[in-house]
Amino acid sequence: MAATLEITGLRKTFGGVVALAGVDVSVGGGDILGVVGPNGSGKTTLFNVVTGVHRPTAGKVVWQGEDITGRSPHEIARKGLARTFQQAMSFSDLPVRENVLIGYEHGRGRRRGGPRLWETVDAILAFVGLAEHKGRSAGALPFGGLRRLGIAIALATEPALLLLDEPAAGLNDRETAELAELILKLPGMGVGVCLIDHDMKLMASICRRLIVLDFGAKIAEGPPDRVLRDKKVVEVYLGNLA
Amino acid sequence: MDDVTMTVSPDPSPPRLASPARSEMAPAPGSGRHAVQIAGLLLVVAILAAIPALKPGYRFLSVATSTGISTIALYGLSILFGQAGIMSVGHAALMGVGAYTAAILARDAGIGFWLALPFSTLLSAAVAGLLGLPSLRVGGHHFVIITFAFCGLLTIILINGGSFTGSATGLDLDPIPAVLGVNFGALQNIYELVIAFLGLSIAATYAIRASAYGRTLRAIRENEQLARSTGINTGFHKIGAFMVSGAFAGLAGLLQAYFLGHISPDLYGAFPSIYLALMVMLGGPRALYGPLGGALIVYFLPEMLRLDPVDARIAYGVGLIAVILLLPGGVVAGVASLFGWILDRRSRTAGADG
Repeated sequence: MAATLEITGLRKTFGGVVALAGVDVSVGGGDILGVVGPNGSGKTTLFNVVTGVHRPTAGKVVWQGEDITGRSPHEIARKGLARTFQQAMSFSDLPVRENVLIGYEHGRGRRRGGPRLWETVDAILAFVGLAEHKGRSAGALPFGGLRRLGIAIALATEPALLLLDEPAAGLNDRETAELAELILKLPGMGVGVCLIDHDMKLMASICRRLIVLDFGAKIAEGPPDRVLRDKKVVEVYLGNLA
Repeated sequence: MDDVTMTVSPDPSPPRLASPARSEMAPAPGSGRHAVQIAGLLLVVAILAAIPALKPGYRFLSVATSTGISTIALYGLSILFGQAGIMSVGHAALMGVGAYTAAILARDAGIGFWLALPFSTLLSAAVAGLLGLPSLRVGGHHFVIITFAFCGLLTIILINGGSFTGSATGLDLDPIPAVLGVNFGALQNIYELVIAFLGLSIAATYAIRASAYGRTLRAIRENEQLARSTGINTGFHKIGAFMVSGAFAGLAGLLQAYFLGHISPDLYGAFPSIYLALMVMLGGPRALYGPLGGALIVYFLPEMLRLDPVDARIAYGVGLIAVILLLPGGVVAGVASLFGWILDRRSRTAGADG
């Protein structure tokens, strides 16, 4: 499958701190790529640089053949690269349905013309299981609902690639299983997924590939079963457990 | 970094009386809510327009006219603050741009009220866009102080503008010429003109709130980072909200210039700006009739009750603190949710009976 996102030599420093030390990643269209690594290893920085929140110090981000390095977040979102945030963000004073409608009215879907991924906003709400909460204000949702709302807003922009930053953080086992089921449906709908999470069971079960970051450098890449048995990975990431 | 968050946010936590989403929920398509809102608006405008028929005194009608003019600017401010979440205490200065544009055009080019209308609103909108530029880099309190400084700057320019701006004395204007036999020199007629423009301002505000554009502004208010990640160009829309808001202020300034017949820099300084901000916060920046309610409470009532200006300021201070603590959505939103709560209880008891 042709890669749609090509990241080469991506480097980001904050003052003297090296958050990303030259990372190469490629994500294909129907891929589910997992990014793991200890806290502070540069996972969220990777997402932030790719989506234009931070400008990289060096390196290139090429999306569907176009260099998007250093473009602003809204331009990148309109090109079909959507994301969620680690802190479960929403437009909290607005009704759930309006939250999703905002994503639906912007993003890529409205601009590219042709048939839309979602016929209606209600279809998105049904897909993530928030249909019965659509009239509530987002701030009143339980935490698991808030996580799903974040995904719904991002999906409403009709992305070709969805970046999920710790989508399972704070979810219980049942909610995590529902999340896994939801994520597994996305490649079939033409939405590639790249996700960060610390839940190794989840990552091993849904990711086709994993990359492992440590101090901003990629130390391993490959199928989950192989990567998670890699000696270097066990040492840096699970070392304290071994 | 440039999140627009402030201690005095437009509606930090909704009153406990009603479900939070109710007050702002966009009318569902196909429901009769648009029709109800439009009927309500027509009713309010009809009541306001009928006031002169009750033969109120000159003072009453004159204060009502000034209140109406301020309320037009307040509707602009409610879009900026209530919808986009950006507070400005520079709106009197934007009214000043509209007023001085009208006065200078009348003096130097012989351009009257109707032809000055586009100039005043567009120039005010342009200046508002400039005023909004710093909001791209700073947010919250810092930005509020910048808008405050802008008022001081405008006052200095007007006072030192020599004969062009009339210095501290200001400028004079002739009344609006008669149109189709309607003499706008008569107080009652200029009052009706102001009410007509006020009705249009409320209608425009309602249309903006109910549209996708209004949703875009609310997204920026609620979470700028999330808004950007959905593809919203937040900088562009923040400046846009300023310009829309500035157009309302320019219109208000134009009307004020022609109503008073004389304008001077002190009308457009920091204090009048603070009063505008106070009226919006007290009335409720997110409620459709919040600005109208705020203007009646802060502008009209104290003037009619001939409250001592010092007492009035103390009352405003106490009132503002009380509203922020007890009715964070403003007085009008508070009253509306109280009604909602009573209706809810009624229908619930009725349901239990049946």
